[in-house]
Amino acid sequence: MTITRRIFVSSLAVATALSVSFAAHAQDKGLIAIITPSHDNPFFKAEAVGAEKRAQELGYETLVLVHDDDPNKQSEMYDTAIARGANAIILDNAGADATVAPVQRAKDAGIPSFLIDREIKESGIAVSQIVSNNYQGAQLGAEKFVELMGEEGNYVELLGRESDTNAGIRSSGYHDIIDQYPDLNMVAQQSANWSQTEAYGKMESILQANPDIKGVISGNDTMAMGAWAALEAAGRTDVIVVGFDGSNDVRDSIKAGGIKATVLQPAYRQAQLAVEQADQYLTTGSTGQDEKQLMDCVLIDETNADKLETFALSE
Amino acid sequence: MRDVLKLSVLCLVAGIAVTGCKIVPDPDPAETESSGAGQSDETRMEAFAQENWETKVLPVIQENLVPVDDLRTALATGADAAGEKYGLRPKGEANPWNFAVSGQGKIIEAKLDSRAAKLGVDTSGDGAADVTVQLGPVIRGTALRDAMPFIDFTDFRDQIEFAKLATALNGMAHASISKPEGDVIGQDLRFEGVFTLRDPAMIELVPVMLEIGG
Repeated sequence: MTITRRIFVSSLAVATALSVSFAAHAQDKGLIAIITPSHDNPFFKAEAVGAEKRAQELGYETLVLVHDDDPNKQSEMYDTAIARGANAIILDNAGADATVAPVQRAKDAGIPSFLIDREIKESGIAVSQIVSNNYQGAQLGAEKFVELMGEEGNYVELLGRESDTNAGIRSSGYHDIIDQYPDLNMVAQQSANWSQTEAYGKMESILQANPDIKGVISGNDTMAMGAWAALEAAGRTDVIVVGFDGSNDVRDSIKAGGIKATVLQPAYRQAQLAVEQADQYLTTGSTGQDEKQLMDCVLIDETNADKLETFALSE
Repeated sequence: MRDVLKLSVLCLVAGIAVTGCKIVPDPDPAETESSGAGQSDETRMEAFAQENWETKVLPVIQENLVPVDDLRTALATGADAAGEKYGLRPKGEANPWNFAVSGQGKIIEAKLDSRAAKLGVDTSGDGAADVTVQLGPVIRGTALRDAMPFIDFTDFRDQIEFAKLATALNGMAHASISKPEGDVIGQDLRFEGVFTLRDPAMIELVPVMLEIGG
């Protein structure tokens, strides 16, 4: 614990040093804190990079922090951002319930929050909540999955982290489509908490118990990658895998004939949009938008995988 | 006596079946709070959809109804131009346009033996289907919900509840049309409904009115 704390403090010091050095170039519009889950998942890295780049272009200093999906850590980071006098906070949060308190605390301190990717359970506290239309995206993924499965056969569903609304909504979008086909039979449904390694382990044991599976539908791309690795190791590359996120890893797998499809969330643009709304809010007092905003997702398969790069589709 | 009872029960059941109404009880607020997601979301959103269908949803569609030919002309000048003129959508750059549209054409494709039954209609007279009429019961998309100016995502707890609302509205649309039977290929179809603009060459319609024949 002391070690983690020391690393945390020292990384904070580095971040501080970095942002001080940016201050020399900035047009002095103030500080924007960008807080996301771990950059180990390229999705969150793309968000952080997209937000940071846009903030610096608009003349802000940035403070980039990672909460590792730990609500306590997120709370500490909010205190850091408040103490540093941030003008706005861009957040991909660590839990729909647990995030309400820190966002409120920042609001009370006069610091507006702009949420991306994940919602919180209350409205009227954050200024913007911009999230991917996960339900629409999941339906796209499910329709493709049904088509690939030929409308029949045994399949497995890998779920995301339970505390994350996106896990539930994607599953619900999948089933609203898949359950309409009586010959598609779900033989296992397990959470691998969005994690690649966990998905690998879960897939191995599911495969032992159910060797007759034909497909796997996954709540995100990292779990799809884990499942695919386990299937490959077991010599089961005949199994149809569909993911969600639109990562470069899955893009490359699709191009190599591995994973069959995924659903792109426009993560990079979403992060930039949040910064633009923060800037507008800080300069004019309003974003001109509703608080909660949905962004549509796009199906990625072998026909358009070429155009995908870092959570954005080129025209 | 027992037979009379049986008969009256039968009548009652038949009566309910014929009217096709679904009785949706108002949820107990305390229960809704504690039971969280799942069933209660669905029930509450079904009640919301039912409550607003005649009074708000159908009037919005009637007010914004544009003939499909006019819409096509407008779309030729660009999606945003057409959207500004005829479209409906929530605020924000990320939201595609939705349109309430009316039209008629010849049915040239039909898939009726599916949970996602649909008709392919040629409205431009070139022999190819350009409108897909979704008959359900599985109706995809959120066009009905997203076309409604009185529905704002911010007023709903989360995407799950909001998704159930879309499903409930699609369910109302499905219940309000009668599914064509038999050989419909070659027949004329008049329709009114809503769709989300994705590919201007193929309208995927959620119908609220269908008239077949002629």
